Amino acid sequence: MEQTSALGSFVRRNRGLVVVVLLLIALLIFGSFYSDRFRTTSNILNVFEQSTGLALVSLGQTLTILTGGIDMSVGSMISLLSLLTSGLIDGKANLVVPVAAGILVLGALIGAINGLGIVWLKVHPLIVTLGMGALLQGIALLYSLGPAGKVPPNFKFLAYGKVLGLPIAAVFAILLFIAVALFLRYVRLGRYIYAVGDDHTGARLMGLPRSRVIIFVYTMSGICCALTSIYLVSRFGVGQPYTGINYTLASITPVVVGGTLLAGGRGGVIGTLLGAYLISLINNVLNFMDVSTHYQLIAQGLIVIAAVSIYVDKRKRI
Amino acid sequence: MSDAVHLQGTEDESNSSKLKTIASRFGIHIFLVALIVMSGIISPAFLSANNISNMLLQAAPLGIVVIGQAFVIILRGLDLSVASVMATAAVIATGLSGVNADVPAIVGVSLAIGAATGLVNGLLVTKRDVSPFLATLATMIVLQGFRFAYTQGAPSGNVPPLFRVIGSETLYGIPYNLMLLAVIAVIFTVVLSRSRFGREVYITGGNPVTARLLGINADRVTIIGYVISGVLASIAGLVLSGYVGIVDNWVGRGFELDSIVAAVMGGIALTGGRGTIIGGLVGAAILIVVFNAVLLFGMPVQLQIIIKGLVIVMAAAFYVRRSN
Repeated sequence: MEQTSALGSFVRRNRGLVVVVLLLIALLIFGSFYSDRFRTTSNILNVFEQSTGLALVSLGQTLTILTGGIDMSVGSMISLLSLLTSGLIDGKANLVVPVAAGILVLGALIGAINGLGIVWLKVHPLIVTLGMGALLQGIALLYSLGPAGKVPPNFKFLAYGKVLGLPIAAVFAILLFIAVALFLRYVRLGRYIYAVGDDHTGARLMGLPRSRVIIFVYTMSGICCALTSIYLVSRFGVGQPYTGINYTLASITPVVVGGTLLAGGRGGVIGTLLGAYLISLINNVLNFMDVSTHYQLIAQGLIVIAAVSIYVDKRKRI
Repeated sequence: MSDAVHLQGTEDESNSSKLKTIASRFGIHIFLVALIVMSGIISPAFLSANNISNMLLQAAPLGIVVIGQAFVIILRGLDLSVASVMATAAVIATGLSGVNADVPAIVGVSLAIGAATGLVNGLLVTKRDVSPFLATLATMIVLQGFRFAYTQGAPSGNVPPLFRVIGSETLYGIPYNLMLLAVIAVIFTVVLSRSRFGREVYITGGNPVTARLLGINADRVTIIGYVISGVLASIAGLVLSGYVGIVDNWVGRGFELDSIVAAVMGGIALTGGRGTIIGGLVGAAILIVVFNAVLLFGMPVQLQIIIKGLVIVMAAAFYVRRSN
């Protein structure tokens, strides 16, 4: 295989990414032929903007999955944190910054507790984070059974504001993804994440700080949930105790579609970002085709099946 | 299951470690009894015939799902699609004219959908090497989509009277659905602990490589495990539809996680190859008792969820300590 071109080897190494990009292009072409309104810049920007919430939560999920774990508490965490965001700000403009900062810290803290629980109790991440998810959902419902609080009007700028014609939240998400991609590639801790996911025993034998890596990725997932929560409150104007309920499972789809193996050790965040765009774009195209949201669910499930069948995973754990 | 326990027992042990073995083997049973006694002391109403009958009524759907989940988890998998299968069965139960003459058709179609879902899960896991989590997640979403498309988001109609009787009525205080659970539990306990297939399930779950070396068709065993889970989930969905009487798109919501939690609490290890159906049912009973007690003590209903979260993690940590 020495003679294969650089492009050929790139394609082989990143088969998943190539498939996702091709699908994105195919959908864009199909949509453009299907509807004039699809082709408009405002619609494309709309798709871009709508992917932000899913992209942000999936970013943290990618990191936990890269270590061979999973974070099943993200949905409840987003529900609780978005509820607290609007509940604590409660329309007071001067509280926006301190509350937002507090929410980020709280997200990091909850994530760190997830990580500590996994390391100390030696219990499967699925179980620890499921437990945490139930705990957080209960707390969210204790705090409020319905939408709580409100945010000042200019808070909506985070979700709807534009800089140079581009939605700022979506641009922020891209920058964050690029930063994490560089981190994974060039920072030692980032490379450790792959090592831990590749082989738990091997990583420990080599003296890798497995515990530290695991606490780190769940903390990052918590921070990503906090960012998602702030974005969602900005978008909807209020937090609800069930805002995040669908995100737990939804956050896994872009990760898997983007080529990260559920067993850990392989994949990356750029695939996840493209995966989030793909899902957002598919839903948009189906909307234009007047396909009801019910069938959009079927499409999403079939995408997962197709994706996992493409990336055959020989080292499955859960 | 018993194999592992017997192996531990063959070593010479001092009395204290024997005590430990007893505590770890029956810890969850002792916990359940303690929970019931404590709840009875705190609130005498807990042990009233009415309340016990009520708890038993609620136990059957969860218990039936847990039995299927047990097979899948012992086979190193897990089945997230059970709740979706349950809701689909419930939608079908009310989809016809709501008379007893529909029962055979309803049961036939529901079980077929459950079996088909299990078959797809099993094929994805064995033939395509998809992780059980993702395979069952995907079928869950697809099935949910079909259900919503079929009902257009607003299912309606009535459950045939026979389902109402099975799902919500009692004979001398014993719910019919509990009798159904007992029959299913006995059948599958015999299958799991006495049959050749049951042995193959434990060996395949314990170590798929060994299974292959022993000439066991591990793929076939795994696929059958998922089919059992799908079929039992559809039965549980029918029973639950008879209990609630009305239908919505989310009948059974939360059962996927509750059934996994019950199984893990009952000593069925997520790493596969270990656990019993009785253990899983004890785990389910603990969940039902906790939920009931929280309500009966007048605590906010949200505490149910919080306590569930804590119990999940504690139980799992308990078993990790035990296996170390």
